Amino acid sequence: MATITAGSQIGRSIPRLESRDKVTGRAEYTHHLKLPGMLYGKIFRSTMPHAKIRKVDTSAAAALPGVYRVVTIDDIRTVIPHPYYGPAFHDQPVLADGKVRFAGEPVAVVLASDPAVAEEALGLIEAEYEELPAVYDELEAASSPHLVHDELKPAATFPDLQHLKGRRGTNIALDYKMRRGNVDAAFASADHVFEHEFRTQQVMHVPMEPFVTVADVANGQATLHTASQGPSFVRIEIARLLGWPENRVRVKVPHLGGGFGGKLYIKLEALVTSLSLLVARPVKISLTMEEQFFMVTRHPCTFRIKSAVTKAGKITARKCEVWWNGGAYADIGPRVTQKAGFTSAGPYDIENVWIDSFAVYTNRPPCGALRGFGAPQTAWAYECHMDMMARELDLDPVAFRRMNMLRNGRPQAGGTVMEDADIEASMDLALERIGWNAPLERVSGNIRRGRGIAIGFKGITAPTTSVAIVNVYADGSCVLYISTVDMGQGSDTVMAQIVGEVLNLDPEKIKVIHPDTDVTPYDMGTLGSRSTYHMGTAVRLAAEDAKNKIEELARDLDMPPGSNLPVAELLRKKYGMQAGNIIGTGSFMPDYQKPDPETGQTRKATPFWGVGASSAEVEIDMETGEFKVTKLVNIADVGVPINPKLVEAQLSGAGIMQYGFTTIENMIFRDGQLTNGSLADYKIPSLLDMPKVFINEATRSNQKDGPFGAKGAGESTTIALSPAIGNAIADAIGVHIPDLPVTPEAVYRAIQSLKNAGGH
Amino acid sequence: MIGLDIHEPQSLEEAFALLGDDESTARPMGGGTALMLMMKARLFKPSALVSLAKADPRFHGIHLSSDGKAFTIGAMTTFAALEHHDAIAKHLPVITQTMVTLANPRVRNVATIGGNLAHADPHLDLPPVWLSLDSSIRTIGPAGERIVPLADFFAGYYETNLLPGELIMQVHVPVSPGWRRRYVKITTRSAHDWPAVGIALGLQMQAELCTDVRIVLSAATDRPLRLEAAESILRGQKLTPGRIADAAQATGDIHIESDSRGSADYKAHLLKVHLARALQDLSE
Ligand SMILES: Cc1cc2nc3c(=O)[nH]c(=O)nc-3n(C[C@H](O)[C@H](O)[C@H](O)COP(=O)(O)OP(=O)(O)OC[C@H]3O[C@@H](n4cnc5c(N)ncnc54)[C@H](O)[C@@H]3O)c2cc1C
Repeated sequence: MATITAGSQIGRSIPRLESRDKVTGRAEYTHHLKLPGMLYGKIFRSTMPHAKIRKVDTSAAAALPGVYRVVTIDDIRTVIPHPYYGPAFHDQPVLADGKVRFAGEPVAVVLASDPAVAEEALGLIEAEYEELPAVYDELEAASSPHLVHDELKPAATFPDLQHLKGRRGTNIALDYKMRRGNVDAAFASADHVFEHEFRTQQVMHVPMEPFVTVADVANGQATLHTASQGPSFVRIEIARLLGWPENRVRVKVPHLGGGFGGKLYIKLEALVTSLSLLVARPVKISLTMEEQFFMVTRHPCTFRIKSAVTKAGKITARKCEVWWNGGAYADIGPRVTQKAGFTSAGPYDIENVWIDSFAVYTNRPPCGALRGFGAPQTAWAYECHMDMMARELDLDPVAFRRMNMLRNGRPQAGGTVMEDADIEASMDLALERIGWNAPLERVSGNIRRGRGIAIGFKGITAPTTSVAIVNVYADGSCVLYISTVDMGQGSDTVMAQIVGEVLNLDPEKIKVIHPDTDVTPYDMGTLGSRSTYHMGTAVRLAAEDAKNKIEELARDLDMPPGSNLPVAELLRKKYGMQAGNIIGTGSFMPDYQKPDPETGQTRKATPFWGVGASSAEVEIDMETGEFKVTKLVNIADVGVPINPKLVEAQLSGAGIMQYGFTTIENMIFRDGQLTNGSLADYKIPSLLDMPKVFINEATRSNQKDGPFGAKGAGESTTIALSPAIGNAIADAIGVHIPDLPVTPEAVYRAIQSLKNAGGH
Repeated sequence: MIGLDIHEPQSLEEAFALLGDDESTARPMGGGTALMLMMKARLFKPSALVSLAKADPRFHGIHLSSDGKAFTIGAMTTFAALEHHDAIAKHLPVITQTMVTLANPRVRNVATIGGNLAHADPHLDLPPVWLSLDSSIRTIGPAGERIVPLADFFAGYYETNLLPGELIMQVHVPVSPGWRRRYVKITTRSAHDWPAVGIALGLQMQAELCTDVRIVLSAATDRPLRLEAAESILRGQKLTPGRIADAAQATGDIHIESDSRGSADYKAHLLKVHLARALQDLSE
């Protein structure tokens, strides 16, 4: 495959192609779109976390002047007999169907030409409920008799979930297993056994652009304009819902104002399409920032981790029990459960591994993908666990990690041999940048200081496919058709650089066509750090195909080899005028082998490894627990950075986000009701909150089979950040805090409990 | 009725007429920042908003009296105007210091000091500072003007002693040379959050002696609260570490509320520690 070429476009930090459009307000967003005759929908939401719906009285709302129609599931059913959707399970009704499963669930929609009228009418709808006992905690729900769903309904598109079909009497949506070696024997003969439990909280993506979809269904054609990270998936799922062939569904996605995993698979699209089909007019729904908390969030997680360690510090066995709180609907949670379960023993070379990872339904807003696909929750546990063991064993945490680290050439717990994963180099760079060996003034007055290190990795969703088309016009200018969604990460720019590299063109002059499923070919989705590697390869192949065709044309025209005539001239020669085009196509699906369902073992689980290392230095006020992260370093192995500046923006962006999830963000519920569902009360970090010294860097490495040596960069720095901070705090105060977020009050309580226990 | 009307009356009479009687759901509007949050959360639904921007010139301006003893500040003065005012920075530096910790530049550019006071959310930063400065407000209503010491203004959680139809027109702030002042804002989430605990402090020192003192707590009780027990331990005394510790301990009886920024006992602890530290600092 490709080796690194000393190309002129690779490694160039060209500015994003769309920068000027964005800063001059010309960039296209779904929010701007208005179609003739369009109705606006506003959603009436459940106030109950779990209840049977006795009655929804829409009459007063429908009677309000200006209201076009009020819609419930009964209306939807007249046009879609089975109105359930979802990527992994078809468990989510387009609108609540007989029962509500979380407070905030859509129950009815008011349609009106004026969104203010629709909003006003919401206040006139009355719903009567019969409350049901609810479950909120993942551990409780796992064994509770109170069921969120009567029956599991896996989607046909996920063949590996078919054994769950029809399963009843449980809130456990999926149980993932990995088995390697003999864990029981290793624990029985261990010098030391350590067991800890960690928890993470529910948080939200907070994209600046809230969810928005416009659907126009008429004359047997459905056109969707939607803020989605996965237009191809939306087309497939809408076609299934409508029972139509895919070519009658068109999905268009302009720029996105952030996605972070939230806008994946299918979200508002199912509802808005159903509404448009029902009323035969274009319908638009734009969520408010507040409503986003009810769409999709990140899984809270409870992780019990147990390790057997020799006197010398070699880990001989590890048992992981991971419980994912998936909320009321599965969304992509079962996949998170598998993929994050798969790497939940950490980037360590351990003979005996036992992993159980459970997706659990609860009466909370649904949880899905959020920048890391579960890897950050698991790393919080396994990396704090590493430091806790090192402390008990009086081992240096760095040496302890080095002794057990998974290195290239060795099989990961699931059997896939590690390749091109710069774990140790990432750790070393993180140590160097924080000044690990520099003296630290540990105590001054009330202040204690500490440092922490953590590493982490993730597998990449597999197997997935990307397809690209390169079109060279008759004047030699070039267009790229892809369904990758540029949501601010800069994919348009990077893909243009790849085309430019192959065809020797200026990337800034290449036009990237935004996803339009009538025009741009299939892509599995802009998710899980996959685009640069998967779509990047497809784009490279498409550009190479175009290049071959240009050379072929030159040969057909009897040009002497190396004559290097521009394409425009070749086409002119062929057609006798400025006409025709050269079309190159590329399609890529990496090697993959399905894991054994009983043992999770496989030859090839992931196309590449996401690798991150973080280090932190903290200052703790021992009297109050208030703390400052004074230095934060994030290192990622991204292979060869195609655009170093964009890579740095990805690493720091992911770092800021995870910093919020570590120290600030928390969706707080009381009796199933979200109590802080607005940005006034759900705080995210601003630049003032970020550490003064904040370093984000990529290692020098090479993903041998990636496009020009590149791999994904979007999630790597979310993985190890939280435990680096957790470990730094523990280094300073002498005790670990097992739950996220780490707040000043939590630190204060930890210090107090240590004092009461007579420590320190 | 759908939506709401926004009025910009050109006189006070017009404003009063638009605001109507006690039953009216028309509301006066300063910067609208608190109103918008409450309307979005559907906490209340006004029929009309009445901007005070053009109702009367007395709602505007920052004036230092000719004897230099007091400021009169119009209720429509924005936080940003206060933040960047030279005479305020010179004579009331504690205000300037407080402004930069408050919300963010976007909010500071529009939120007004009158709206801030009338909102009476206990989690605000300026009210305790005004209170520690012995400020008072001038109100105006259909029945005339009143001067209300700020100490008598707040009635509880989101409640004031404004009479129906009455508006805050001005804030009077005495200039107190020789006092040392500070506002301690303690946040437990992001830097731009509302405080978990706010402490406004004033100390009048003569040589070693603390001749007078103001301590006002906010964000922990239903309204800004003068900590008189702590004050009386310090007044007329030398501020030795022991006495400061006693004053901090004297906050123990206050009934503090838990909220999403901290539990009651954690906030009580924060208050003790930060009060003692600030007193120590200011007394040096
Ligand atoms: C995101 C955000 C963060 C914030 N952070 C902080 C913070 O950290 N610290 C802080 O102190 N503040 C903060 N604020 C500001 C604060 O919460 C209030 O929003 C602000 O002080 C209200 O001022 P306003 O002029 O916008 O009031 P408005 O919203 O206009 O009015 C508030 C109330 O006062 C009434 N009113 C307005 N003017 C008058 C008047 N002259 N006479 C009588 N009644 C009147 C209105 O009818 C309404 O009931 C923040 C605000 C936001 C939006």
